[in-house]
Amino acid sequence: MDSLYLLIPIALLFCVVAIKLLLWAISSGQYDDLDKEAWRILAEDEAATSSHAGDKETASQASKKT
Amino acid sequence: MYPASDLQILDESRTCYHCGEPIPHGVDLSVTMGGAARPMCCPGCRAVASLIAESGLENFYRQRTVYNERPLQPEPTAVEQYRVYDDPQLAATFTTTDDNGLVNASLLLGGISCAACTWLIEQSMAGLPGVTRALVNLQQARLDIQFDPEQRQLSDIFARLERLGYRPRPFQTSIARQQSAAEYRTDLRRLAVAGLGMMQVGMFAIALHAGDIQGIDARYQALLRWVSLPVAAFVVFYSARPFFTSAWRHLKKGSLVMDLPVALAIGLAFLASAWATISGTGQVYFDSVVMFTFLLLLARFLERRVRQRQLFTWLDAESSLPSAVVVRRDDQWISVARIALRAGETIMVKAGETVPVDAQICKGDSAVKEDTFSGEPLPRSVAAGDTIYAGTVNVEAALQARVLGDYRDSRLAALQRSVDVAQTSKPRLAKLADRMASWFVGRLLLVTGATALVWLQLAPEKAFWITLSVLVVSCPCALALATPAALTSAASALRSRGVIVRGENALESLWGCTHLLFDKTGTLTQGNLAIAQVHPLGNIDRPALLALAAALQHYSSHPVAKAFSSIQAASGFDEVTYQVGAGLEGRCARTLYRMGSAQYCRELVPDFPAIPDDHFYWIGLCRDGAALAWIGLDDSIRPEAGAVINSAMRMGLQVELLTGDSSSQGPLLARALGIETVNCGQTPQQKMAHVQQLQESGAVVAVVGDGLNDAPVLGIADASFAVAGATDLARSQADFVIVGGDLHKIIESVLKARHCRLVVRQNFAWALVYNLCAIPLAAMGFVQPWAAAIGMSLSSLLVVANSLRLNR
Repeated sequence: MDSLYLLIPIALLFCVVAIKLLLWAISSGQYDDLDKEAWRILAEDEAATSSHAGDKETASQASKKT
Repeated sequence: MYPASDLQILDESRTCYHCGEPIPHGVDLSVTMGGAARPMCCPGCRAVASLIAESGLENFYRQRTVYNERPLQPEPTAVEQYRVYDDPQLAATFTTTDDNGLVNASLLLGGISCAACTWLIEQSMAGLPGVTRALVNLQQARLDIQFDPEQRQLSDIFARLERLGYRPRPFQTSIARQQSAAEYRTDLRRLAVAGLGMMQVGMFAIALHAGDIQGIDARYQALLRWVSLPVAAFVVFYSARPFFTSAWRHLKKGSLVMDLPVALAIGLAFLASAWATISGTGQVYFDSVVMFTFLLLLARFLERRVRQRQLFTWLDAESSLPSAVVVRRDDQWISVARIALRAGETIMVKAGETVPVDAQICKGDSAVKEDTFSGEPLPRSVAAGDTIYAGTVNVEAALQARVLGDYRDSRLAALQRSVDVAQTSKPRLAKLADRMASWFVGRLLLVTGATALVWLQLAPEKAFWITLSVLVVSCPCALALATPAALTSAASALRSRGVIVRGENALESLWGCTHLLFDKTGTLTQGNLAIAQVHPLGNIDRPALLALAAALQHYSSHPVAKAFSSIQAASGFDEVTYQVGAGLEGRCARTLYRMGSAQYCRELVPDFPAIPDDHFYWIGLCRDGAALAWIGLDDSIRPEAGAVINSAMRMGLQVELLTGDSSSQGPLLARALGIETVNCGQTPQQKMAHVQQLQESGAVVAVVGDGLNDAPVLGIADASFAVAGATDLARSQADFVIVGGDLHKIIESVLKARHCRLVVRQNFAWALVYNLCAIPLAAMGFVQPWAAAIGMSLSSLLVVANSLRLNR
């Protein structure tokens, strides 16, 4: 159990690095547009498979309702 | 007065595939997409949709989540308008040129509604030769584009964007915009730190809580407490700072706000836990502290984000003016940037264009549509010597006018200034949460004091820790979450129904609203002329008269002509000519027909009778030797207006009509719709004064409007709506923007706001019940830190789950 004295500070160090990275990412503007990126990750997928004609109508109806 | 047969009847089952608005009767437009004909409501929508379809980007329609905005002009204007941006001097204000000779430009886009728009714009721009990079920021409605000036001109890009149905403008960094972007990042940083901190401290806390139950070695307990301390400290000092500053700022002013119990709970629980860690006694609540901070920051972040989207797509009044102006310089008509105009120069305003500056006419006769200023639906006839104002639309013929001054001196700028004044004098209703807070803080301090006193008598050594556990257990997490969670949920529900909620306390003001004030032109009416009455003067019947009139009007571009566009025209007319300020003349079967003002008809038929004694916009129709008819035109009521006003009254709202139109149309319309209180001929200042007077007598006033002249009153009202087609200035002042044209959304919003009030009250009731149960237990010394943490999370979850019901 004495290993905790080493492991926990190491975990904290990781936490500090993670916070640093996140703050850097926010400052560099990577999180300025949350909506677009959240949408795009799904959209590219659908654009690739949209040749399946059967899905078209349901997809357009669903998008209008939301 | 308003026979149903004369109203424009809408076929509710057909809506435009592009903008989602109902398609007017008689319009038969469509675009073939994905193998099916998609109905369109106007040529503008059709032009945009066919461009999208032709570019192979029709996927956009499947991807989007919100309908597009209806393009303002029926046909997109030519590239010419944007040529001025090719001028290096003007372009330099929003572009930069890099070392490779590529130009980087930032454009602000009006009309962006959802993430799919960003895809559409990026795809369509990237497909243009010469464009190297196109990136849209949805939050700021900004397009950053990089292109090779050798291959592509800035004006092409502007025109292309307009053809896609967006309204491009140079992106000018303003202080407000920079501030908002900076605040957004700061909020996100605080939230991120609180989230990561919560995970760390939570991990340690589980070990500590397990240790409390199963037993733990004192040195490991001390270790876990000591590592939790710096993380929690960072979260409290970095992330929770806004709670402390806000509580302190309000306390100095003597007001108790929700941030005060929040700051007290966070501060005291943290200090006590830190003391327990250092002294090795008592209990620690680090996990509760950071979790509380994170949940509250998250709720506030989400609430603000729902409201702030599209905050800057609607700008001030100046942005509605054309950027390019045709001016006479060196005996030539040249196009220059509007801001480069100087007083005394002569400008040319063509028919259909917006007047760019206040100016005095030196040549030409025409009419200007000033409905956004005055609420008058009919154009005002102007001639040499008259003044025309920036922001009005020249409808009949080209005018030459002498510039009177720059934008700052214009009537439009004066209106903008009164809007800014209205905003600062808007009454702030006390937030329900803050009233709750002041009630709660007082009671809590009493209970805590009593607990401390009792335990000092019974067992002084336990008194401190038990008193502290009362404070921590009473942690007002659920109480503080109650409103933001409900407001966020209601706002996103309204958004998906086509109402954008922008005002900070808009929903709270709306649920208590007592008066609902409507503007007339463009709000209750459609802002277009329609045929209201026909007075036959000869023996020709009504349908035949209208067919004759329609045949003549077919050749005109005056707004009057629109009223006749859906009528089957009589055949056989030719040699139709248009006389500015008078009317139309044409031949059919060798007979001369005239249609227009009384004077114009009398030239042909000297004994043409006088205008009937009604307050319509009358047009005479005659043929060689015989008077035929007076046709009365009028602004047609929106088909749903009556039903909406009825529902509003049934909901117990006082409905009033507030209009700038001074004709008798106001009272007539009010009578037709069942509105009792009518105020006609009101200037923007009088409208403001009226609302203020109502507010002073204790009313909570909601206003519905659309024009520039409504902007000040929208700014001062407790809650305000801007309807479809509203000017940017009106939208930027409104708390609620209705995206489609449906007035029913007003009722829907009021109902949603009232439902929101119910949910907020339920949330408060639950939070108080939780506290009423937990505080006595804590005061008796039964509550352990792990129980406090579980109780807090569960009560908060319940509040959030209850609020999510609003999202349906």
